[in-house]
Amino acid sequence: MSGTEAVNTVEVRALTVRHRRTTALDAVDLDFAPGVHGLLGPNGAGKTSLIRVLATVAAPSGGRVELLGSEVGAGSDHRSRAAVRRRLGYLPQEFGYYPGFTVREFVSYVAWLKEMDAAAVPAAVERVVARVGLADRIDARVKTLSGGMVRRVGIAQAIVNSPDLLLLDEPTAGLDPEQRVEFRALIRELGRSTTVIVSTHLVEDVAAACTDVTLIEAGRIAYRSTTRELTELGGTGDGGAEQPDGNPIERGYTAALRAHRAGVANR
Amino acid sequence: MTTTGGAGMPHWHVSEELAGRYAAGSVPETDAWSVEKHVETCGGCAARLSAAVRVRPETGAVLDGVRAGVLAAVAAEAAPAKKPVRVAARGPVRGPARGLVRLTAPRTAAADGAPAKKPVPVAPFRFAGAATRAGRLLWAAGPALRGSWLVALVLVAVGAVALAYGAGAGEAVRPLLLVVAPVLPLAGVGLSYGRHADPMYEITAATPSGGLRLLLTRTAAVLVLSIPALTLAGAALPASAGRPGAAAWLLPGLAMTLAALALGSYVGCRTGATSIAVAWAAAVVLPVFAASPPAALAAATGAARYFAGPAAQAAWAAGALVCAALLAVRRRSFDHLETL
Repeated sequence: MSGTEAVNTVEVRALTVRHRRTTALDAVDLDFAPGVHGLLGPNGAGKTSLIRVLATVAAPSGGRVELLGSEVGAGSDHRSRAAVRRRLGYLPQEFGYYPGFTVREFVSYVAWLKEMDAAAVPAAVERVVARVGLADRIDARVKTLSGGMVRRVGIAQAIVNSPDLLLLDEPTAGLDPEQRVEFRALIRELGRSTTVIVSTHLVEDVAAACTDVTLIEAGRIAYRSTTRELTELGGTGDGGAEQPDGNPIERGYTAALRAHRAGVANR
Repeated sequence: MTTTGGAGMPHWHVSEELAGRYAAGSVPETDAWSVEKHVETCGGCAARLSAAVRVRPETGAVLDGVRAGVLAAVAAEAAPAKKPVRVAARGPVRGPARGLVRLTAPRTAAADGAPAKKPVPVAPFRFAGAATRAGRLLWAAGPALRGSWLVALVLVAVGAVALAYGAGAGEAVRPLLLVVAPVLPLAGVGLSYGRHADPMYEITAATPSGGLRLLLTRTAAVLVLSIPALTLAGAALPASAGRPGAAAWLLPGLAMTLAALALGSYVGCRTGATSIAVAWAAAVVLPVFAASPPAALAAATGAARYFAGPAAQAAWAAGALVCAALLAVRRRSFDHLETL
């Protein structure tokens, strides 16, 4: 999916993730370069398992994972993994916070965990909080904010260290339509210099913000293309019988998923 | 939700039906957030929603409470009050009442677009603010320092003194405290680290300091509180000749804590701490069962041999060093926190 000139910041080979007897990811190969990349798929397809491995939160059961030029999989070097984590931003699907924290304290605490230069933290925190539109709530307790605002605080903590690799799991969950528009503009902007991987079940997120899309189904890569190609796939409406009112990219998503399932059934 | 397409940003409005469901509290949480955000800037929808909420009988009490809060806030702003008045209702407010409180709360000058008054910097207050923030960050560094563990620590320290002087147990209490003391840091460590203990676990796990550094920081926070509290309590207890001193538990406590961390690198901190605590309890209690009728004081007195004398203390010191070395070797296991 990466351009020929761009250097891959993420390289995954034969990545396998198992949860007890369930295989969440089955020998997946993927490359990502700077840009905004969408991970699409039904619930339980393996998107979150992939994001958690890329975030170095979960250990893969097998395969090789190279982030920002360093191996981070099983048996990798401790120092190189720590170095990658300093350049990483991660917004989990769900996250908690300490009830007494203000927005400023929450983001500052994550900056400390990311081992940022202490002198640079206050300005960085104010910058990212303003960037997500919460400058006027920076000293409000997180627990007093609405769900959408908490989500934006999560985005702020993810980008406080100006990451080279940004992993966002369902980032627009809980945001209202206007906030979604603003957020998509933000990740498009971040994608100019950063590798942004967005896991979502909303096709419209991918259409609006991503340059390419990876469709995951039952732990396997079902389809990869640019967003334009996926849109063109659904442009005629051939695959959209289930969504007659859907837009072209939704129909393309349905068509790609259906083609993959047909291919699996014929094996 | 009524959506009207357009060339620019999408515009949608709160329909009568949605307003009614919102007022009834039957709108899913995420949709409720969208509604609340939208009515901050849409007067028509705010009026529609307000009308839907107002007709419901249960909102009367909430409105009265909010009105009283607003009036109190206005009065406080008019007077040179030093303490801010909280407008928000006490306790969690759910459903339409929550939105109602937010909708009817007075807006600040900044929120209304008016220029806010520039705050006058006052050095002592600024220092206090920074100290408060640092305190909160430190507080967050040790989940065990909140809640039941801290209560247990205070209860053990105060209870030992009360038992010795209030209940007349006298010299028998110090051995009992020495037996219990090493378990408290273990409990603190078990409650400090991992998915079960840390609400920010998922974010923390993806950071370079989320591994051993954070674990040691939180362990240090536990020890900084428990060591002086328990040692001072022990020193305040009546001593008897030939029995271990008030500080005799320190090396055993340190060794057991490091053993819990080292074991935790294999099985997780909670399981590691629990295993060490159970092993210690067995070492204290089982010899008593093997002899005469069991009794807490007899067990504690018998366990004094684990603390007494240079040989026992040297063995604990050696154990602590071995566990520390094992922990250093196993430090990488805390990088992937998934199983810890």
